[in-house]
Amino acid sequence: MSAQKKKNEFIYFSSRNPKLLAGVSIILLFLILGLIGPSLTDHDPFAYANPLGAQPPSSGYWFGTTFFGQDVFSQLVNGLRATFLVGAIGGGLGTLLGMLIGFTAGYRGGVVDEILNALTNIVLVIPTLAVLLIIAAYLEVRSIFTECLFIGLTAWPWAARAIRAQTFSLRTRDFVDLARMSGMRPLKIIFTEIAPNMMSYLLLVFILQFGGAILTAATLDFIGLGPTNAISLGMMMQYSVMWGALQLGTWWWFIPPGLAITIIVGALYSMNVGLDEVFNPKLREM
Amino acid sequence: MKRYFGRKILIYLLTFFLAVTIDWMIPRFMPGDPVRNMLTRVSVNTNASAIQMMYDYYSHLFGLDMPLWQQYLSFWKSLFMGELGISVYLFPTPVKDVLLRAIPYDAFLLVPSILLSWYAGNKFGAFAARSKWLDNTISPLSYILTATPYMWLGILLAWFFGIVLGIFPIAGAYSFTMRPNLSWNFIGSVFHHWFLPFASLFLVGFGGWAIGMRNMIIYELEADYSHFLGALGAPKKLVRKYAFSNAVLPQITGLALQLGVIVAGALVTEVVFSYPGIGYLLLAAIQNQDYFLIQGCFLFIIIGVLLANFIIDIAYILVDPRTRRGMTGETA
Amino acid sequence: MKRTTIVISILAALSMLLAACGPTPTQAAPTSEPAPSEGQEPEPVATEFPRNETLYVSGAAWGPASTWNPFQPGSLANTTGTIGFVYEFLFDFDPLTGEFIPWLAESGDWADDTTYEVTLRSGLAWSDGQPLTAADVKFTAELGQKYAALWFAPLWTNTGLTAVEAADDTHVTFTFSDPLYQEWGNYLYNLPIVPKHLWENRTEEEITTGANEKPVGSGAYMYLDNAEDRNIWARNENWWGINVFGKPAPKYIVDIRTSSNNIALGMVLKGELDLSNNFLPGVATLADQGYVKTYFAKAPYMLSANTAVLFLNTTLKPMDDAAFRRALAFAIDVPSIVNVAYAQLVKAASPTGLLPSLSKFDDKAVLAELGYKFDTAKAKQMLADAGYADVDNDGFVEAPDGSKIELEVTCPNGWTDWMAAIDIIASSAQEAGINIKAAYPDYGAWNTALQGGTFHMTLNNWAGMSNTPWTLYNLLFRHPIQEQMQSGNFGRYDNQDLFDLVDALAKVPVTDEAGMKAACSAIQEMMLTDMPMIPLWYNGLWSQYSTSTWNNWPDENAANPTLPTTWSGYWQMGGLMTLINLAPAE
Repeated sequence: MSAQKKKNEFIYFSSRNPKLLAGVSIILLFLILGLIGPSLTDHDPFAYANPLGAQPPSSGYWFGTTFFGQDVFSQLVNGLRATFLVGAIGGGLGTLLGMLIGFTAGYRGGVVDEILNALTNIVLVIPTLAVLLIIAAYLEVRSIFTECLFIGLTAWPWAARAIRAQTFSLRTRDFVDLARMSGMRPLKIIFTEIAPNMMSYLLLVFILQFGGAILTAATLDFIGLGPTNAISLGMMMQYSVMWGALQLGTWWWFIPPGLAITIIVGALYSMNVGLDEVFNPKLREM
Repeated sequence: MKRYFGRKILIYLLTFFLAVTIDWMIPRFMPGDPVRNMLTRVSVNTNASAIQMMYDYYSHLFGLDMPLWQQYLSFWKSLFMGELGISVYLFPTPVKDVLLRAIPYDAFLLVPSILLSWYAGNKFGAFAARSKWLDNTISPLSYILTATPYMWLGILLAWFFGIVLGIFPIAGAYSFTMRPNLSWNFIGSVFHHWFLPFASLFLVGFGGWAIGMRNMIIYELEADYSHFLGALGAPKKLVRKYAFSNAVLPQITGLALQLGVIVAGALVTEVVFSYPGIGYLLLAAIQNQDYFLIQGCFLFIIIGVLLANFIIDIAYILVDPRTRRGMTGETA
Repeated sequence: MKRTTIVISILAALSMLLAACGPTPTQAAPTSEPAPSEGQEPEPVATEFPRNETLYVSGAAWGPASTWNPFQPGSLANTTGTIGFVYEFLFDFDPLTGEFIPWLAESGDWADDTTYEVTLRSGLAWSDGQPLTAADVKFTAELGQKYAALWFAPLWTNTGLTAVEAADDTHVTFTFSDPLYQEWGNYLYNLPIVPKHLWENRTEEEITTGANEKPVGSGAYMYLDNAEDRNIWARNENWWGINVFGKPAPKYIVDIRTSSNNIALGMVLKGELDLSNNFLPGVATLADQGYVKTYFAKAPYMLSANTAVLFLNTTLKPMDDAAFRRALAFAIDVPSIVNVAYAQLVKAASPTGLLPSLSKFDDKAVLAELGYKFDTAKAKQMLADAGYADVDNDGFVEAPDGSKIELEVTCPNGWTDWMAAIDIIASSAQEAGINIKAAYPDYGAWNTALQGGTFHMTLNNWAGMSNTPWTLYNLLFRHPIQEQMQSGNFGRYDNQDLFDLVDALAKVPVTDEAGMKAACSAIQEMMLTDMPMIPLWYNGLWSQYSTSTWNNWPDENAANPTLPTTWSGYWQMGGLMTLINLAPAE
């Protein structure tokens, strides 16, 4: 199968897969909202814009205002930026580390594999959130980037495990043997022969890491261990609960952030299923 | 079989070792003076000499006046003696006692929600794989559920059932009008308070397992043996039964892998519903900079997760005929 | 399918086993509880509390109960009532009238400049039936002499107490040398008296840090039970005070720890909670609509409990310049803090920092001349006069020597009302041309900076209601300046003249009101001229109540209002009288 034909086939099936299309459009929509949203509102996310305090959605404040009169829309769109940043950087870092360890273990095999596999299994068992909580609790000043860093550093084992298994099966294929016999360096083999052949798989891994990082960050932020100098969707939920939004009935404060996370992560999953169907012809029949 | 077990136990021991090491390391290598921060909570209304006494006491307890390797060894020693220090936030209660009070609530919340969501999710997932119509209703719902952040679902349930409808309490483990006793009234109150946090954990978990099972079954139904069975004229029901049996195994492994996520979910759910388990305690410990209690909570979570993993391993062996016969090859 | 069932049942069985290993939450009835006095049938231990006999309160505890040791005041918030319900004081103090109310003492007075004589009431008793006598008072006071780690050890080392004598069962004499009268007044209603017969054989560790479970005291309520999120107290039917003050109406008090304000708010609205002392930001609206009751029907709704003060680090430029500090005081938009950050639940503070209950010590003349209020134009003018000008046209002034001014105002992350307040401080200062940014470090970092003196400017409110203005000035002008300032003067303001004035105030007899006023005037004049820190607003005595089960709550119209609060340390400031005055709702 030539590369060109494969590419065409990919585009053909992708453009006809509703799950993939829906997922991608939703993600794009939210991404655009996060990018241009802050310029659509005059209010700084923390500014006490509305002197009346908590008010339901109106033409002046599209998503209403918080207890302090802060613009919920402004907080939401700025929070979306944080969400995508965490997903991209945290999820990306997790995927990269997973690739590094997965490829190395899968390709080298033997003792290296034994050690890396043991390490993966160990980190896999330790509940990452507990570790993150402790680290975050001791960090006195936290930024979104430190959050991304720590999420990435703890999220890799799952990716590493999956990539290792795939590398294992590709390692013994003819074309890899051929490359090896022609004297290619292992690193080059991994990046020119093995990785391209599991590109689709890596994409799926990245998408799941992206969603996982978003959920982890939301949890940390909700507990009050989020960034100390920014707004995020998880922090919006934390503040709304802390300031009695449930009792005071200010639903416009706690529904949007959670809904946004649910839709984004749901869209990512949907993309994942769609892509899986595109890559795996067998699944298309259902 | 022996080798399989040996490996597993070795991994668990290493994990425990690493976790304890992390637990020991973090307060020591983070910036700031943890002992001084910790003590400001009590500094109001207390005189300076008393604070200095407590400072010395805690520095000594932390063992900050010893060389590092000695601190590390003594940390292990006190650990084996069940000595986790004294909580600062709940001075003078030992950390161990604080944790032991919280554990029953965690078991009561986590065990049923994990098992029932796993069971129901698998059932429904298998069900979904049966027809296009079911697939189109159960699957999207499951995806939405599994994409929902735990605390948000908790917030929604608390808001709707607790505040809008007012039919469920949203805080505590039993009614404020009672003391624990063995009456139906009290037991009813316990379940009444347990239901919403349980439901949040159950629903999110349910979504994930349903999707997992649905996908597994479809893979299995596409596998050669299913086609072969079908070609031989086996009834559809039988084919599905085989597919289900095979799909359950990865779901058990999945349960082990998901434990960390579920525990994290339980932590925030307890926070939303003020349910007095370890999660609720951990949050309070963090907010009050109670390092001993934080360390203790972390240790208990690790031990709990390791135990659960071990139980799942045993269950897997009992269920999977291959491991029972002693197959030790690649299982990952 | 069978396999799944097996797995489930194995897992279930194993985990139940694990769960069973933990201790059960159910506790046996307290066995060491004092035996009921003769003639009374032992009451069965209540398992459910009748609504019409039970008072539900919240807002004092921020953690599960851990100690009932009356000598650990910092930790007693979680078992509020340990002092006040169980252990009592020689006097109570009413901050609304400024009067000392004889409690265990029938009377107490300075016989001469260095001798304080107390006569105890007759018929005082501990809840185990033993009489409470002068020997108990002597024993308690002398514990502070014996153990330096007790919080009241300074009673001996600082206040000047030299000896305590019990002449007979009801007469105690305290002998001083060079007494600090103001501080002694404070001890009268803050030092809880403990029973000698139960404490004399305890070790130092038990006394200073022990948990003192199942406490036995002399007060109106007794310990009944506690759990993670509640403390339960039962009325002492044999309390000596029933004949003197009356019988508190609620038979049981359930003190609830709510994890968040939101839960307390919901419970008050449903009438499940009778009195909430949580800070509930939305309560102004609910009070206006009549859903809850507050002390004042209109803003500020709450009594004032303590002063939020902006401490300025006077060791750093430009906060070492009094002219700059005074200009800053005019630049801060306190009205917005009151209206936006607190939705009108607080009041702007007097520039002297003294609470309304102590306002008689405010020197009106000094205030008229040196007081400050929000006025951006005036602040700008003052800055210009002092040589602060915007040299590089960035919109912010530079110091007279031309150096840039970039300052940070801080409070702990997550303290949302304070975060809102410092945002307003920063933005209003920027309006006046002072470049201040708000920052929210984590509590630990904030505290390290506060005590270590590495902050620029930050909020603190550690001085609460008191019998004397000295309490506030002791916090503001704590001296000597040390490397770590743990209990005041965080900005390290060093002015020996002012310190001398504060020390002089401490030695004015409590009865000498004119003398106290004169001492306060001198302090206030120097403070407002030099402006080493800026009092901004009064945090409220947060309190909202439901009248669905209990009536007769104190409010601004009551004949003899008392404090509607359950905070630890406030029971003896009228909190208990509030309970005694309660009546069941119709």
